[in-house]
Amino acid sequence: MEELQNKVPCREEQLNGLFNLLGDGDECLPCSIFISGSMATGKTLCINAVLRCLSYKHVVIDCIECYTPKIIFETILSGLEDEEIEVKCETMMDLVNGLNRLQEAQLGYNPIVLVFDRAERLRNLDANIMSAFLKLRELCNLNICCIFVTHLIYESFNFRRGVREPIKLYFSNYNKEELFKIIFLQQKTFIHHLLVTYEVDNEIKGELEKPELFANFLNAFLSVFYRPCRDLIELQHMACVNFMKYCEPIIKNEISAMDLTKLWRHISPILKSSLELLYLRLSDAKAVKPSPGKENSDTDSIPHNFENMLKEELTSTKTFAQSFELPYYAKFLLIAAYLASYNSPMEDKRLFMKNHGKQRKRLQQVKAKAKISEKLNTQLGPKVFTLHRLLAIFYAILEEKIGLTSNLLAQIATLVELKLIAGSKEIDLDTAKYKCIVGYDFISAVAQTVGFNVRKYLYDFM
Amino acid sequence: MSDLRTDNPLEVQIKLIRKYLKLKIMADNESFHGHAQERNHVYDLFKRTVAHGESHSALMIGPRGSGKTTLINSVLQQISKEVDLSNDAIIVRLNGLIHSDDKLSLKAITAQMQLENAVGDRVFGTFAENLAFLLSCLQSGADRRCKSMLFILEEFDLFCHVGRTQTLLYNLFDITHSAQAPMCVLGVTNRIDVVELLEKRVKSRFSHRHIFLFPNEDSQGAPHVKYRDLMVNMLCLPRTKTVSVKKNRRSRKSTVTSEDMEIDQETNSLPDTIISRHPNLQHLDQEFVQDWNAHVLSLAEEQKVLDCIEKLCYYTVNEQIFRNILFELVSKLSLNKPYIDVADLSAIIDNTVAPEHRVKLLQSLSILELSLVIAMKHGMEIFDGEPMNFEMVLHRYTKFANSNSSTQTVPRAVILKAFEHLQELEVIMPARGQDHSTDAGATRAHKHYRLQALATPTHDVTEAVTKFKALPTEIRHWFGNSVV
Repeated sequence: MEELQNKVPCREEQLNGLFNLLGDGDECLPCSIFISGSMATGKTLCINAVLRCLSYKHVVIDCIECYTPKIIFETILSGLEDEEIEVKCETMMDLVNGLNRLQEAQLGYNPIVLVFDRAERLRNLDANIMSAFLKLRELCNLNICCIFVTHLIYESFNFRRGVREPIKLYFSNYNKEELFKIIFLQQKTFIHHLLVTYEVDNEIKGELEKPELFANFLNAFLSVFYRPCRDLIELQHMACVNFMKYCEPIIKNEISAMDLTKLWRHISPILKSSLELLYLRLSDAKAVKPSPGKENSDTDSIPHNFENMLKEELTSTKTFAQSFELPYYAKFLLIAAYLASYNSPMEDKRLFMKNHGKQRKRLQQVKAKAKISEKLNTQLGPKVFTLHRLLAIFYAILEEKIGLTSNLLAQIATLVELKLIAGSKEIDLDTAKYKCIVGYDFISAVAQTVGFNVRKYLYDFM
Repeated sequence: MSDLRTDNPLEVQIKLIRKYLKLKIMADNESFHGHAQERNHVYDLFKRTVAHGESHSALMIGPRGSGKTTLINSVLQQISKEVDLSNDAIIVRLNGLIHSDDKLSLKAITAQMQLENAVGDRVFGTFAENLAFLLSCLQSGADRRCKSMLFILEEFDLFCHVGRTQTLLYNLFDITHSAQAPMCVLGVTNRIDVVELLEKRVKSRFSHRHIFLFPNEDSQGAPHVKYRDLMVNMLCLPRTKTVSVKKNRRSRKSTVTSEDMEIDQETNSLPDTIISRHPNLQHLDQEFVQDWNAHVLSLAEEQKVLDCIEKLCYYTVNEQIFRNILFELVSKLSLNKPYIDVADLSAIIDNTVAPEHRVKLLQSLSILELSLVIAMKHGMEIFDGEPMNFEMVLHRYTKFANSNSSTQTVPRAVILKAFEHLQELEVIMPARGQDHSTDAGATRAHKHYRLQALATPTHDVTEAVTKFKALPTEIRHWFGNSVV
């Protein structure tokens, strides 16, 4: 038990609950257990550890892998069978018969546990399958228990017909102290990772291995990251990446390991900027790949690499926009598409004509001017526009006069092809309808390259 | 693990008790209490079919966990004691969950009649032909006398599900009217309107005999008194006949309780079939059993226990849920804790009736995610429950974040990810009618602009925020005064 709690930290309550419910080998199992809790709270880990510890016969069914009833049934039966044999099982009836046959043949009254991981997927199947599994114990002659593991709460599974209620367990998320404790357990692997990447002499190595250093880092790290993210897996990954950067100056002998304030000043901008990379896992591929090769040759190039990467990532939308290398007119077409999508046609005259005249202010318009933030066009999403309107705006924002050539029309098709504009690929002048599907950041990056101010032409910002 | 350390006799006894009680709570599906009238009705139907060769059809209707299946099991058990059920009758049990179409049902019927050999490779034109053949097979037995048949159809409503022709039901009910074979068809369901689902031809052949089983119907007192008694009944252990003289010597017990136990003695033991599967249950120490029973009885006297059960009864009278609660209670017994704790009972009941998992889920969110939920709640308050898209929520959130210098600014991509996380947890759900009204491809709404509605009741959000201890004060404050 203690060994298990070391393996699965901070989950004593849940482990005890599971042990109590599953009991000893010869006891009766409950009919079904429903385990819910947010992602990365150790649900699957706990249940697997407990089952392994009790050494009950069990089958774990991942409901993503088993996407049809047939696969689920066959996984269950072949998992319970001692020998490897091909099982055919198409319906619930076959499953129940198969289980009963197994009971007579080998299982007897030994406890059997079926674990349905990611059980929320079961909702996509026939509704009766889940209700049948919930009362599987009644349907067949075994000491069997179904455990459903999911990140949704029980209420999200709305059974229309009512079912046999399972016993429910909840896994609450780790709080800050628990996260600290769990990540702290990983200190050894972090250090190991660090030592593999860098060449470190022994004196510094001793300092790096001090737990205080890691604890300090972790405190700083969590103070930045805990707020937007409580996902343990993601935090662990980010901690690993950032710890390397934290230790860099120590390895290079720039900052001593004892100088905490200096270290904090060094790491806080890095943490802030890497916050943007949360969940993206961008650095993963780049940071790891060059390291094994360059490890021995030149250590100087690696920090340089990091800086480059960071800059690149910070301006990611911009670089992404530039990476398309659109032709000059295509850029204007795209901008025109954006303006057409986010302005209402009513305002076109006012926005794009030189002599639109003075607007008379009526009470109605004054009211309409008091824009409600939630009803802004930029927030409601792009509207559909016709080809005519797109071309009209295009000519309005383009200073020079060019003819409408097939080349120009082909560029619209290219934009559609690149998924910057949604619409039909072939150009039919009468019926074609389009919609711009890039965001404001993207379009302002594009507009910058041609020296165009998008904000000036957006009604919302006037 | 602590598996079988037999050195401590107390531990052995506790384990035995735990095992016995678990068996009694979960595995016993034959002991039925109360509802004497309904039980007699079913008993009468079965008996007349088996003994006198009459044909009947009936429907048993009662909510989940009201003991429908248990009632049938106990009746069958009783009949099997009186007549030779295995020779005189064939029991066919079908369940709508398992036998999901007529072909499967027929296969199951054949198997349960043990006629697979007779059918062999025969090909039948219609369902009726097949069923008639099965019946004729039975008649051609040695003594030319037909066996009676009991058809028990559980989850009856699934047999008359839409999109499924009710051939099976039609044929079964039809046979009850012909003199082909004595047959009793008993449908079991929890849908009160089940007759409306039947096709006209089926309905006209059904006898319209309804047996209703409502959990609160027959108890004179309040339901929680009944449940208290049920608890005592479930948790007490039976005493074998070798009760020693020691009984009177035990000081803890009042005379009243020992009388109670005399009454209980008959009813609260497990059916023999289950006992025989677990030989080591015989080792229960009688003295210990008495001690335990006294403990249970004294527990039942406590006002706190009664209060807890009353609370449960406000929410549900589902006996299966009550059994689950008792199961959890019993599974907490151990060497360090040989007796039932009232606090445990009340904690388990609280957990069952009002689990508040949604509040806990909200509290498991990161602060950023919770802020988005709050932003959304505010938005929906202002716009009277209109769904919002990501941009609107983001706008509202940034407005808050900018007005508060202490909050760190979070990049947009991370907020989007948090928003998607909420979507995954089904805290927010896509607004209805979005996907259907727009046609595919070109006009499908962009991820940022797809309208989402808060799928969490606002009072749950309120509760999560007020009870969330680690929440920064500025967010709590923001939550309090709605319009920023």
